Amino acid sequence: MQTTLAWFVLVLPLLGGITLVAWPGEPPRAATRLIGIGSILIAFALAVTIFVSLLMNAPDDRTFTSGLYEWISIGGISLDLSILVDPLSVMMLLIITGVGFLIHLFSAEYMQNDRDYRRFFAEMNLFVFSMLLLVLAGNFFFLIVGWAFVGLASYLLIGFWYERPAAVAAAKKAFVMNVIGDAGLVLGALLILRQLGTLDFQQAFANADQLGANSGTALAVCLLLFVGAAAKSAQIPLHTWLPDAMEGPTPVSALIHAATMVTAGVYLVERCHALFQMSELAGQIIAVIGAATLLMAATVALQQVDIKRVLAWSTVSQIGYMIMAAGLGAYSAAMFHLLMHAFFKACLFLAAGIIIHALHDEQSLNKMGGLKKYLRVAYFGMAMGCLAIAGFPGFDAFFSKDDVLATALAAGPVGVACWIIGVVGAFITALYMFRLLFRAFFGPGPSGGYAHAPHPSKWWMAVPVIILGVLSLVGGWIQVPFGWTGISDWLAPVLADVQHPLEATNAQVWLTIGFSTAAALGGIALAWWLFAADPERRIRLAAVARGPREVMREAYLFDQAYDDVFIEPGRELGTVLLDDVEPKGPQGLITGTAAVIRDTVRVVSASENGFVRSYAFAMIAGLAVAGVILAIVVAGVA
Amino acid sequence: MPWVSLLVIVPLVAAIVLALVPQHDRMLARTVALAGTGLTVAVSIVVLVLFDGGSGAFQQIDHVDWITSLGISWDLGVDGISIWLVLLTTVLFTLGVIAACQHLPERGNMFLSLLLLSEVGLLGLFTSGDLVLFYVFWEFMLIPFAFLIWTWGGDNRRRAGLTFVVYTMVGSLIMLVAIISTALIARDHLGHATFLIRDIQGVPFSGTASTLLFAGFVLAFAIKLPLWPFHGWLPLAYGEAPIVVTALMAALMSKAGVYGLLRIGVPLFPDGANTLLIPIAILALIGIVYGSLLAWRARTMRLLVGYSSLAHLGFIVLGIMVFDRMAAQGAVLQMINHGVVVAAAFTIVMMLGRGTGTEDMDRLGGLAKGAPRLAVAFLIVTMAALALPGSNAFVGEFFILGGVFRQFAWMAVIAMAGVIYAAVYMLRMYQSTMNGPVRGVADEGRATELRRGDAIVLVPLILIMFLIALWPRVFVDASAKATDQAIAPAQVVAGRPLIQIAPSAAATRELP
Repeated sequence: MQTTLAWFVLVLPLLGGITLVAWPGEPPRAATRLIGIGSILIAFALAVTIFVSLLMNAPDDRTFTSGLYEWISIGGISLDLSILVDPLSVMMLLIITGVGFLIHLFSAEYMQNDRDYRRFFAEMNLFVFSMLLLVLAGNFFFLIVGWAFVGLASYLLIGFWYERPAAVAAAKKAFVMNVIGDAGLVLGALLILRQLGTLDFQQAFANADQLGANSGTALAVCLLLFVGAAAKSAQIPLHTWLPDAMEGPTPVSALIHAATMVTAGVYLVERCHALFQMSELAGQIIAVIGAATLLMAATVALQQVDIKRVLAWSTVSQIGYMIMAAGLGAYSAAMFHLLMHAFFKACLFLAAGIIIHALHDEQSLNKMGGLKKYLRVAYFGMAMGCLAIAGFPGFDAFFSKDDVLATALAAGPVGVACWIIGVVGAFITALYMFRLLFRAFFGPGPSGGYAHAPHPSKWWMAVPVIILGVLSLVGGWIQVPFGWTGISDWLAPVLADVQHPLEATNAQVWLTIGFSTAAALGGIALAWWLFAADPERRIRLAAVARGPREVMREAYLFDQAYDDVFIEPGRELGTVLLDDVEPKGPQGLITGTAAVIRDTVRVVSASENGFVRSYAFAMIAGLAVAGVILAIVVAGVA
Repeated sequence: MPWVSLLVIVPLVAAIVLALVPQHDRMLARTVALAGTGLTVAVSIVVLVLFDGGSGAFQQIDHVDWITSLGISWDLGVDGISIWLVLLTTVLFTLGVIAACQHLPERGNMFLSLLLLSEVGLLGLFTSGDLVLFYVFWEFMLIPFAFLIWTWGGDNRRRAGLTFVVYTMVGSLIMLVAIISTALIARDHLGHATFLIRDIQGVPFSGTASTLLFAGFVLAFAIKLPLWPFHGWLPLAYGEAPIVVTALMAALMSKAGVYGLLRIGVPLFPDGANTLLIPIAILALIGIVYGSLLAWRARTMRLLVGYSSLAHLGFIVLGIMVFDRMAAQGAVLQMINHGVVVAAAFTIVMMLGRGTGTEDMDRLGGLAKGAPRLAVAFLIVTMAALALPGSNAFVGEFFILGGVFRQFAWMAVIAMAGVIYAAVYMLRMYQSTMNGPVRGVADEGRATELRRGDAIVLVPLILIMFLIALWPRVFVDASAKATDQAIAPAQVVAGRPLIQIAPSAAATRELP
């Protein structure tokens, strides 16, 4: 029953999207909304039903597979179009359809004035379908298909305003970066196929020990899979596409580039944890990359003035926490933070969306200030989101981030290093988020005031922000230290095969709570002192550490380096091949020969217009040569 | 009924009739051409229905002794590899004729007649069971294509046509020598003269002979494919030919080379094939990277697609030459995929060229505004051409790489570069024409919008793509046995027993 419902969850958004595409002419906006939002709402209701029915089963009876048909049988292996319904995939289903529904609702008003209303909802539905396919897939092949389809949907939605060159370039960059990730993922899958003889998840995981514990093969499998994860989840060195992806409409940024798609890398590590268990070194490398990313991105976020770019870098940073946790083996903590992040980051983006909508597409913090009195709902959402992401006691990342950090502390020396970086990151996070809050909502308005008074939103946009704001406030209480463990219990059947589950001691938990709370409060206080207590202070301090800050603003120059090292040389090589090598090499040889033959033919046929004749000549000559050879060979043999 | 022979006879008769149709009666010419190609599709469907996919054997054979003393015979049939190529040929030619009929050039009856003659050549060589017959059809295909280029091609058509002819003739003659030598050695061994492929298969050629003969055949195939560096004729021929002809050459004529490799080269000369495995695989890999880089920098859409074809055929050759069941079956599927996708891509180039007067993508932009339906179709074709996972082309590519990876992991890693480049160059073509500010047109691109006439050509191709993507099993199952048999001798020589399914698969934990 659960799998049947899951098939419906998967197919409904697709059907909605196809209906919109196939609608003759431009459908009425009300119909577009109804189909676009309705299909996601029903999918969410079905996902909740699946969740409840699994909850009523015994914990070891919550895993189901279902194959629709035998999709291919090739070279000795057979693949079904199959789905895997288990606590992990159901948790993702709830996030995707639940947050997806709220953001669809928000979009109904946000995109109201856009010419391509229908196309927007069709592409959003395509995205939801693809993401559901990614998390439901029962084997590596369809995981890769879902993986690539979310990349396609992301490409389409980043480039939604396709007449803007910046959006087109950002879309291409995101797509190509993700194709690089896909290549890693494909090679990882092929290595699994070669070593284990299967692409099916459960068969591969059950036999993961055949890779050899801590063998080079296991390391290679894990790192190849992680190339895919890093590209999708914007981890160093494949992170540069995500900030540019903010060229898309804000609901897109909220859904795809914050709450769901970019966490796919975390999902991949969780799903394949049986493989990652086989290589301790791979896990450590991944954790270090996550830690480096979280710190790097947090410092970059400090220097951004575009409100969406602050949030984008913050997303990179927060996913760094999740990747770090997953690498260390803190699987349930990573999923806990993934869920909480979906709430508060969607909330932050949608609140930012209200601001951008109210200010007629203005995104610069320099043109904001004092919005508190105009945009109450946005203020509420932004405040809840900021308190949550900063880890203010009682708000949701307080619980999830501390879970990540405390578990890291239990994971040996690498874990301790990650813990330190994580606490520093928490301080910077509080600082940059409250910088955003204070600069946008507090203080005087921009010099010269607002051209039009910022207009508050209607309920379409307000309701999702309020719901997500409330979830940011209370969501974390699902798992409370020394209290109860909702997330860990739910994921326990999936993680049952983890050999040495990490368990933080009481001392480690208290230590983490102490330090991370201090970091959060310290960051908020510093932000208050810098940006709210005296708005002039920021300007007075503009000259401090100008050079390093410039480097941070430019995101440590990754983009320029990639241009110089990969793109420009490739372009030049291509041009050289096209202009110099081709005419002289492969073509030169033949045009030279052709010229000789042509001249000879000209002499023989003594005709200017001898092309047809020259062909006939060539034919006859060829046949004659062939005949002579034939005669010689036959004579020789006979 | 000799259905397979009818595959060749029907278009031949139609071509002759077309040549006799009065030049001014274009309506009659169109009718005859459509009827001829349509009827051929019908015949090919009959052949498909009669086809026994459970057997890897050459079947539905029409055999008539022709020159008995030399052992030459009229011998046509199909097997799992050729059956889909036959279907692809008949369908693409029908679509090609539909496309050509909408903008029929001067002396249209001759144009269509030559198109149908080239179809005769292709169908003949895809069904030949006799080496001499194969050679005759091989040459037969060349002539109409050459005439089409130098009569109806672009400004540089004469040079393009001549280059094409000279280049392919060189290969053909070497192949002819190889065919004769093969038959002579086989005669010594078998005691009677024969050119039948199925008789010659099993003749043990000495190591040197096997290598030389394989090299002789492969040179001809490599030129036709083309395999790097034998692609010198490609930019001129693809660039100058009428675009319908370009599409058919890229989609089908290139498959003649692959087909020859799989049908003649590898099964008859397993020793030679193994000797030349690494060199040919390296050429294929170079072709993948080289073709991709050129496609990235190409100045016209036509050449972009043309060079991408060079890269894609590199994948197919690689899939065959590593002698792995999975890779070879993937390669056979990929022949169909590439044929469909490249035909669709050239159709789009054709529409853009007609609607805007240029095939130079850098002069265009923003056409999605005036042509939203075309933008959707173009996007689908783009995604198939860059082998997005979930597209039909990815199915073939994935399993080619899967087989290559388990034999020679390093080759798969290098080939991956082609996968990444494909995204770069295909998006370049899509974005520079469809996205950005409107450029190069006065009407926002409305003249390029997908209309009924173009949809009749494009929509069936897209439907085939979806069919293969959703249900590739049908195509693979029918060709698997024949493909396995084609590479089996080479596998034996290689001494590389197949990597079987890991025994662990049976030990999976039970699921509720």
